[in-house]
Amino acid sequence: MKAVILAAGRSERLKPFTETRAKPMIRVAGQPMLEYSLRGLAAAGVTDVLIVVHHKGETISSHFEHGARFGLSIEYIRQDPLDGIGAAVRRCEKQLGGDPFLLVYGDVLATGNPFKNVLGQYTETGGAVAALSLPTSSAEFGNVYVDHDMRITRLVEKPTNPQVSNYVFAGFYCLPASFLGLLAEVRNDMVQAFQRLVQQGALYGSLWDGGWIDITRPWQILDANRLVMEAWERAEIHTSVKLEGNAHIEGAVHIEENVRIGAGSILKGPCYIGRDSYIGNNTLIREFTALGPESIVGYGTELKNCVLLGRSILGRLSYIGDSVIGERVHLGTGVTTVNHFDDGRLVPFESEEGVLSSGHAKLGAFIGDDVVIGARNVLAPGTRVRAGTRVEDLISVRTIL
Amino acid sequence: MCGISAVTSRSDAVQMLFESIKSLEYRGYDSCGVAMVSGGEIAVRKNVGGVDEVNAREHLTHMTGTTGVAHTRWATHGGVTQANAHPHSTTDGSFSLVHNGIINNYGELKEELTAKGVRFLSETDTEVIVHLIGMAYAEFGDVEAAFIAALRRLEGTYGLVMVTRHAPDTVYGARQGSPLVLGLSERGNFVASDVNAFLPFTRDALVLEDGEYAVVTPTSHRIARLADRQPVTRKPLRIQWDAETSRKGGYSHYMLKEVFDQPQTVQNALNVPQAHVERLADSIRASHQTYLMGVGTTHYVALTGQYLFSKLAGRYCPAVSSDEFRELAMVGPGDLVVAISQSGETYDTLRSTQFAKEKGAETACIVNVMGSSLSLSAGQVILQASGPEICVVSTKAALAQMIILHRVALALGLKTGRLERATHDAHYAALKGFPAQVQTALNEQSGFVRNLAERTVHFKNWLLLGCGIYQAIAQEASLKLKEVTYLHSEGIPAGFLKHGTLAMVDERLGCLFFVPPRADASLHDDTLNAMQIVKARGGPVIGWYFEGDTGAAKLVDDGLRLPQVPAPVAPYLELILAQLFSYFTALKLGRAIDKPRNLAKSVTVP
Repeated sequence: MKAVILAAGRSERLKPFTETRAKPMIRVAGQPMLEYSLRGLAAAGVTDVLIVVHHKGETISSHFEHGARFGLSIEYIRQDPLDGIGAAVRRCEKQLGGDPFLLVYGDVLATGNPFKNVLGQYTETGGAVAALSLPTSSAEFGNVYVDHDMRITRLVEKPTNPQVSNYVFAGFYCLPASFLGLLAEVRNDMVQAFQRLVQQGALYGSLWDGGWIDITRPWQILDANRLVMEAWERAEIHTSVKLEGNAHIEGAVHIEENVRIGAGSILKGPCYIGRDSYIGNNTLIREFTALGPESIVGYGTELKNCVLLGRSILGRLSYIGDSVIGERVHLGTGVTTVNHFDDGRLVPFESEEGVLSSGHAKLGAFIGDDVVIGARNVLAPGTRVRAGTRVEDLISVRTIL
Repeated sequence: MCGISAVTSRSDAVQMLFESIKSLEYRGYDSCGVAMVSGGEIAVRKNVGGVDEVNAREHLTHMTGTTGVAHTRWATHGGVTQANAHPHSTTDGSFSLVHNGIINNYGELKEELTAKGVRFLSETDTEVIVHLIGMAYAEFGDVEAAFIAALRRLEGTYGLVMVTRHAPDTVYGARQGSPLVLGLSERGNFVASDVNAFLPFTRDALVLEDGEYAVVTPTSHRIARLADRQPVTRKPLRIQWDAETSRKGGYSHYMLKEVFDQPQTVQNALNVPQAHVERLADSIRASHQTYLMGVGTTHYVALTGQYLFSKLAGRYCPAVSSDEFRELAMVGPGDLVVAISQSGETYDTLRSTQFAKEKGAETACIVNVMGSSLSLSAGQVILQASGPEICVVSTKAALAQMIILHRVALALGLKTGRLERATHDAHYAALKGFPAQVQTALNEQSGFVRNLAERTVHFKNWLLLGCGIYQAIAQEASLKLKEVTYLHSEGIPAGFLKHGTLAMVDERLGCLFFVPPRADASLHDDTLNAMQIVKARGGPVIGWYFEGDTGAAKLVDDGLRLPQVPAPVAPYLELILAQLFSYFTALKLGRAIDKPRNLAKSVTVP
């Protein structure tokens, strides 16, 4: 069976990180989001994958190439112009060759393998199957109603009633080839296509009660990171890792090849250190920290519940908490991300749509790729910094002749 | 729900077919049968009972042949008898088939065929199908053409497989609304209800879609559309997941599946013939003393019944647990014991029913499994028709039993004159509307229940409280919680609190209240009083209450606000939410759920 992965969107709500990459390339617990789905698909017996790309598609193809590493054969289909999800699916018609296929939303992360459940339900029903999950909030996804056979009897698109908390589409489907024809009939409107299936009684659900998150806002990167890491039960340390004297490791710590950890450093798992990283002396790396490849962390720095996408330098004596840092970022000495208010109120987040509530009382900074933050800067809770920004060092003394 | 399987192979296929039907036994196990094509003839052996039982009696594994079909049945049309068991064949034995599903127009088709001289041996809708095929063959002389012509006349659902001596190495299958999958292997090709039938032999599956049929030989397979005979090309799927995943039909656990079955279960309990309900009511009325007897969950079902009989019919019918029955109950001629058991094989219940009979009392039972020991032993039987309950923990069966007792209490109330017609009718209206409300509640409340379970998962000890019939519900809910989460839990009447239990209450004890609707004024107010008492002592007050109950809303620290339902069915809605709550708590705690430690589905030993 083939799989189609939707990865073309601009995902503007995830700026600054999507300014320079496709959303599915954001790393969560050390791995690009998309990799979780690809591994799951391979484990479920899928061999051919079509990834629909547009925005920063090269960030995806340069990393995954043709998928040989995962036992997959990946083909990239460029969606130009960006004319919606339905059109994206239909662009795959030729390659799908009239067979049923798995449809995967590239921005959903599931811990565990939902594809096996979906395929299992497909063998039972012979028809269209949608994975269903219980979210913490349903407003974005639409409410699904099922009967005892898991047949979907109703789909409420934009529920406004806060009194209901239904199962929602989790973003994984198994669809028959006829779905493409159905899409054509409804002018590529995915919701209408699903409504048609529901009316015909031809859409079934498959419950997914493993971990699941749809990453739409920057702080959800941290939520997803935590979700994945919470399930880690063991430490995994590559044999090439060098721990210098008195380095202390505790909990589910995952360290990739060629990492060097300086003396006196403490790593409290679950946490992840990507390949070829250097951790300076006496650093404290606490729970739910994920450092991407080639990260450099200066002496005496503390990191907690943060995601670094890789190739960044954190200056000595910094504090990075509840933050997401892009690639090739340079933080000078003593940079601090303040992550809460004294009165404990929820941290607001400024976006193009106005000020949003993050729902978190602890939230640090969201720094895009190629940013330079000079020495001793202090970032307010919920700060968002556009890619490529340069902030000067906080100088307090200049030449006194 | 039935299990069907077919094998066609180049070598002897009986063993493969037997193993494959055994793997499908969870789909139905009241009767079983096999048809093998051998030496140009079709041999059929079938009987009542599970696969192993039927094999012991009919020696299924001694049959021979390279092509055959097999079936395990959960009866829907027609009782559980040897004649009704599948496979069904044409009179000359040239076609034999097995079927899963329901043919809605079988009545008219049967009349038509009878008028043409066909003699039917069973009460099933399935038998009609095979005779249609036989008649069509007489007309067309071609098996595939006959098969298609016959199927086009059917209205309803079917997943079926057929063999015929006119094509001794071929299996014909068709799918409309009931599952059917092909399994392809070198050793032989399978056509079956689900992949569990052939996973031990092959992982290559070809799924049929509705409206398609398949023609399968040991070396070839062909799929086409029934409507226009257009061939369908489809690549096989490689099954990379385990058998367990497939059985639950999209649900992650049988328990959740069975909780979601409950709208159907309630409807089936309402469809139990009124005559059976009346008969039991008459027996209770005529008796000197009636006991309601069950053990474990069925004891709490009986306790619910005790409240219903008291309130609706003015009869005191104590619930006495089966295991203590012989110590407690005074039974003799003129008394009636109503035994309740899902499996009908519960040792304690069987023994106490036997004891009651020996003492000269009348016996009746409410059971789920047709042909079970209790159903054969008791004087009267009400079959609850809840479908197979696979999860060790009983959910839908318990609810169905409560609904049936509710109906009996209503019937009895009219007979004794204690119940006004208007109240009786209001109760029935509430019951009739209940399936739809359950369906909606299950869909709309799941997220809230899950979130509540996650917020309260830190409690290691629980106290579940209710007044009146809600006390029985609380006790059953407490048992559910114990069974699936392994946490310590106790269900008590809310009024008990001040008399000792209150000493336990502190911030570490989860106190869960089953709050009645405000329409049940005295029960409602008593429950709120108990909540106040707990709150005053720093105990966490968690509760389910109904929409509009501002008093309860103010008192609870956390809980669920339920949509309003009529008072007669309110206790059952709270029970269902409690089942979900136990489920989600157990899920969060990583418990096994379907097979809790230390427990067995049917306790057939003392």
